[in-house]
Amino acid sequence: MIRALVVDDEPYAREELAGLLARRPDVQVIDACANAIEALAGINRLRPDVVFLDIQMPRITGLELVGMLDPGTMPHIVFVTAYDEYAVRAFESSALDYLLKPVAAERIDKTIARLKQRHAPAPPPGELIPPLKQIPCFIANRIKLIPVAEVEYAYSDMSGVHVATAGDSSYTDMTLAALEAKTDLVRCHRQWLVRLDLAREIHLLDTGGAEIAMRSGTTVPVSRRYLRALKERLGVQ
Amino acid sequence: MDVTFALLQQMSVYLVVAYLFSKTPIFDQLFTVAPRQRHRLVVYVVFSAFCILGTYLSLEVHGAIANNRAIGAVMGGLLGGPAVGLAVGITGGLHRYTLGGFTDLACAVSTTVDGLIGGLVHIYYLRHRRPQAIFSPWVPFLATLGAECLQMLIILAVARPFDDAVALVRVIAAPMILCNAVGAALFMAIIRDRRNMFEKFGNIFSNKALRIAESAVGLAVHQFDRDTAETIARIVFEETGVGAVSITDRERILAYVGRGSDHHRPDTPISSDLTRLAIAENRVVFADGFETPFACSIDDHCPLGSALVVPLRGDGEVLGCIKLYEPKGKLFLNINRRMGEGIARLLATNILAGRFEQQKTLLLQAELKLVQAQVNPHFLFNTLNTIGAVTRIDPDRARQLLMHLSNFFRKNLKRASDVSTLREELDHVRSYLEIEQARYGDRLQVAIRVDDRLLDLRLPTFTLQPLVENAVKHGISTMLSGGRIGIFGWLDHGEPILLVEDNAGCYCPGEGGSGLGLSIVDKRLQAQLGGMAGIEVACRAGAWTRVSIRIPRPAVAA
Repeated sequence: MIRALVVDDEPYAREELAGLLARRPDVQVIDACANAIEALAGINRLRPDVVFLDIQMPRITGLELVGMLDPGTMPHIVFVTAYDEYAVRAFESSALDYLLKPVAAERIDKTIARLKQRHAPAPPPGELIPPLKQIPCFIANRIKLIPVAEVEYAYSDMSGVHVATAGDSSYTDMTLAALEAKTDLVRCHRQWLVRLDLAREIHLLDTGGAEIAMRSGTTVPVSRRYLRALKERLGVQ
Repeated sequence: MDVTFALLQQMSVYLVVAYLFSKTPIFDQLFTVAPRQRHRLVVYVVFSAFCILGTYLSLEVHGAIANNRAIGAVMGGLLGGPAVGLAVGITGGLHRYTLGGFTDLACAVSTTVDGLIGGLVHIYYLRHRRPQAIFSPWVPFLATLGAECLQMLIILAVARPFDDAVALVRVIAAPMILCNAVGAALFMAIIRDRRNMFEKFGNIFSNKALRIAESAVGLAVHQFDRDTAETIARIVFEETGVGAVSITDRERILAYVGRGSDHHRPDTPISSDLTRLAIAENRVVFADGFETPFACSIDDHCPLGSALVVPLRGDGEVLGCIKLYEPKGKLFLNINRRMGEGIARLLATNILAGRFEQQKTLLLQAELKLVQAQVNPHFLFNTLNTIGAVTRIDPDRARQLLMHLSNFFRKNLKRASDVSTLREELDHVRSYLEIEQARYGDRLQVAIRVDDRLLDLRLPTFTLQPLVENAVKHGISTMLSGGRIGIFGWLDHGEPILLVEDNAGCYCPGEGGSGLGLSIVDKRLQAQLGGMAGIEVACRAGAWTRVSIRIPRPAVAA
């Protein structure tokens, strides 16, 4: 059974694609999302095998969404677009397939066949995927795109992943692994990433770990496991 | 007869002096009836000198002098007015008095009277608004004739002994009356011919200047703006040699070159009543500073003394005006008046040609955009995809959407140069919005509220649609939810206002979105409905974008 997620900002387009997929007994449409932000949460939560992804969507495009996904749990991506203005063929290296709207049922069958042949995990996004510039976050239920350069540190806890800027801390659907891979934040703890430019000093602790005092006044923990790599990175022994 | 011939000989010498004098630059000051104190002074000095010269170029007859003195006095009066005439007469008369003889007093008095007669004729023609008539040789001929007759009577009345006076008059009356009258006429003919030659020469010169201006103007006037105006004003200023040149549109001074530029600043509102009059009444206004008073409306110490205001007429309206100024104490030459009017015509033609050119390019751009709109693939394929999905669920709705789609494309096929009523524009927009609402679902709410009285308003085709498309493309499509578009139309003090509003607030300056579509709509409105029409964009980031269309009143269909 192939678990598929449909992402499109137009309701009828979602319905149409979900309808075409539902015809097949070997495909299960597990959810349909109306934008990239919903999709990011949906993908991380539901771990679909394949995502049918519209490209032109509000705030975050389908292409940008691919750049936000955790490389470790990358689903197969099938781009669905009304018009080939993005030269979607160029993404074939990272995408399993691309479909043009309106999509014919036979064309979907072809895509599914291709998916079934592919046993290897989805490849990491190709270089044509735009680099991550903004991180989609929620602040009090409001969606906010935080520029990567403003992020001081990020951490995960029971409630999820949090991204902290000088003034604020907000929840994001991106995983720490994705943030580590896509941004210049540095791993200093199993649950923490930090921007070293904004660090003031590092205090070594008796336990073998350390603490980074940030310029903003907050303290970021460094675990023993990551301290060595961190020191090397800073050029100290 | 001997006396007559002898006196004619003397007059010939006199006129040769006058002719030689006509070659000096001082002579140019005599081309007009002296409007200013300084001119009057020149006239006084010149004709007093000729008056005295007339006394010396004379014949001794019976202990008295037959002479050409009256010419100077009458001419002085004619050109300088009664005060100058009187002064010339008194000067010439006093000089004559010092030479003695039994007619000394009579001659002094009569010369003074000569000047006065010239002055009175001057006033007569000015009162009848025919100052140019003074330059006809007949005027000084008759005036001098009369003055000389009077002189003879004065000699008879004043000179003693009476018998000697009678004898003298018998000998000199005919030659003096004839010679002085003919001499005055010839003197005026010299002035007139010299003036005509000067103007003719000036016309040749101004023709050349016009050609130069034409070449410069033809290149420059694509848009009637400050830079173009500045260039043209400078060319005109240099070619005409007038004191200053200014070019205005209907409200503001666009350019000012020349004297007085310290207080006549470009980009300030028009302050001169003359200019406002020229624009309001669409006619040439000329203030020579004499017949029509001229005073700078800004600065009392302004060096300018006369002005010519020529409206730039085009397309039945006044586009602005060009102004030529001369400083105080400098004559506003007729050649410059004619030149000013010529340049204005030329300029107006060029501005119109520029507008036409601009309109053509705009239409071309609009048509290009139209071509793009016809094949806007994203819209088309998404719509077809939507209709495909709707067909499955609700065939009736699908049929409706197809109708809207074909209506939309049919309207799109209209030529971009056409004019539409607001009713047609709204019909186009409704079809478009029906489709977009189907695509976006509850992400797009639409409200259309337009006063029925506006429905026959005539607009360039594709005025409303691009604004609404913009609101969707750059506004609603970037919103995750809760998008609203409003189209409103109402009369504000009788002036139609149309407003397209969205609640995305993405169109703030410097925040994405191409301004091209809007600026094309703006320029087409201006090109078709005049400079008062156009669009205005207001925005609050993240809250709303409002694009309003202004339409001047006359565009409302009856």
